Amino acid sequence: MNTAILTEEIVKTAAETVPIFNTNKVEQPTKTSIDIKNITVSFKTPQGIYTAVKDISLTVKKGEIVSLIGHSGCGKSTLMGTISGMVKPSNGSVMVNHTLVTKPGTDRGIVFQNYSLLPWFSVYKNIYEVVDAAIKNKTSKEKKELVEKNLKMVNLWEHKDKLPGQLSGGMKQRVAIARAFAINPSILLLDEPFGALDALTKSTMHVELLKLWNLDNREKTIIMVTHDIEEAIFLSDRVVVMNNGPAATIKEIVDIPLTRPRNKKDIIHDPAYMLIHDKLLNLLIDKFSIDDIPSL
Amino acid sequence: MKNSISLKSLLPAFYFAIGIAIVGGIWELIAHLTKNEIPNPSMTWITFKEVIQQPMQDDPDIKGIGTKLLSSLKRVGIGFGIGSLIAIPLGIIMGSSKTIMAILNPIVQILRPVSPLAWFPLGLAMFKDSPAASVFMIFICSLWPTMINTSFGVSAIPQDHKNVGKAFGFSKWKYFIKIMLPYSLPHILTGLRLSIGIAWMVIVAGEMLSGGIGLGYFVWEEGFNGGSVAKIIVAIIIIGLVGLILDKIFMQLQKKFSYAA
Ligand SMILES: Nc1ncnc2c1ncn2[C@@H]1O[C@H](COP(=O)(O)OP(=O)(O)OP(=O)(O)O)[C@@H](O)[C@H]1O
Ligand SMILES: [Mg+2]
Repeated sequence: MNTAILTEEIVKTAAETVPIFNTNKVEQPTKTSIDIKNITVSFKTPQGIYTAVKDISLTVKKGEIVSLIGHSGCGKSTLMGTISGMVKPSNGSVMVNHTLVTKPGTDRGIVFQNYSLLPWFSVYKNIYEVVDAAIKNKTSKEKKELVEKNLKMVNLWEHKDKLPGQLSGGMKQRVAIARAFAINPSILLLDEPFGALDALTKSTMHVELLKLWNLDNREKTIIMVTHDIEEAIFLSDRVVVMNNGPAATIKEIVDIPLTRPRNKKDIIHDPAYMLIHDKLLNLLIDKFSIDDIPSL
Repeated sequence: MKNSISLKSLLPAFYFAIGIAIVGGIWELIAHLTKNEIPNPSMTWITFKEVIQQPMQDDPDIKGIGTKLLSSLKRVGIGFGIGSLIAIPLGIIMGSSKTIMAILNPIVQILRPVSPLAWFPLGLAMFKDSPAASVFMIFICSLWPTMINTSFGVSAIPQDHKNVGKAFGFSKWKYFIKIMLPYSLPHILTGLRLSIGIAWMVIVAGEMLSGGIGLGYFVWEEGFNGGSVAKIIVAIIIIGLVGLILDKIFMQLQKKFSYAA
């Protein structure tokens, strides 16, 4: 019962704290942030060549928030990998800020699906080392301030001296988020960034993500993998639904034309929201609808 | 409650005492059966007290047991130190490059099983000096475990950790210092711990061959020049205790630098 009340409060504060976007602002010509062209990724395995994703094309505008959704193992992380430069496509190309991706770079901040924290460093050091490596033109005092700001944002300042082995899954995830944000990249690649979080923390993190995005005049491009339809709708401009692998392709791209700032509590009563929700649900579970199960 | 905790902490000491009692009993029995050809514990204890008198005596013909111990430790320290300084970088290079691993690994695998004593004549030929030859032997036998464990540690760095370095623009140096070394340090320490254990075992044999001042030669001297068996037993106990201490030191280092994944 307490939780329910708390959730509402958080969501209320959330709606209030997200600064109102100046809708009167002169529309700038939209720039392309990420341009994925005919990407195919195949892996050599002992059982032969496995094609994870095939011939995927997707263009993402600067400042757009796009969610990738699809069944486990369909190739979401692989596709993200081609954008981050961690995965070499077998075919096709990815342009990021008009430059061909050949290797990872600090213009893209990554939250890895498995957190990837360095177990020998404290929470603080995990972020500081990355800030220190990625940001060249700042003094060590400024870098420390950045670490502090980002750790406070994810509510982990009191835990800054703990080692990753002493953290819960959700806490690790928040460290990974703080780490990606701390280097202030123009593109954020988030692979199930909120998957291990409870509903309450998740809501807070959604708001923090949008706050950050707003603070930067909505110029950061965000690609996020998620399994959570509500989350995808609340955060995104577009939701990319993928087919199942092997050789997965894009099944459909669903626009989310809901106006921002969005209020989590109100949005779910919006008929447009319910329509989108239904559509996504159908795209994801059409094969497994109740009608398909033979009745007893 | 308090009592039970202090009792529990005394338990290892209690078990140790039982172990000592059993060994002491067997020892006493053997002494009895050999008609004190092997001296019994109390006779050995008297010799022990004699031996550790004036341990640091360093006269031309009488050397205290401490002087001998330090002399052995010094040889081990030099051989093991130089060996480790070479083995760690080599292990790191082997671990980071599949090609270098493919070149060096077969050689290591051939040389590793060779008894360290076999290197002694080679050292003698090289240095024309038998104490130097035993240092050389220690040097050689300190190489393999450290090299093998270091290269294993470096080659086993998980992709996740490497990805952090790639994604966040770590320089080569930063990757080395902040990812490669911390990850492989526990493996390096395992190698060093194995190496020092072998080195300490081998020095005793080496000094039997080389002569000079040291615990190994001390055992040899007493054993074959009609010396005292009690002194040999005392030396064995001291060698064992020092080996245990060396091992504990590296175990503590291992503990200090291990981390929960
Ligand atoms: N390095 C690799 N070698 C071989 N196969 C791989 C490799 N990486 C991914 N795959 C395969 O590619 C497919 C897609 O994997 P991917 O990790 O992209 O899925 P995902 O959509 O992110 O799944 P999840 O939702 O469970 O995270 C899987 O079948 C996987 O086995
Ligand atoms: Mg994945």
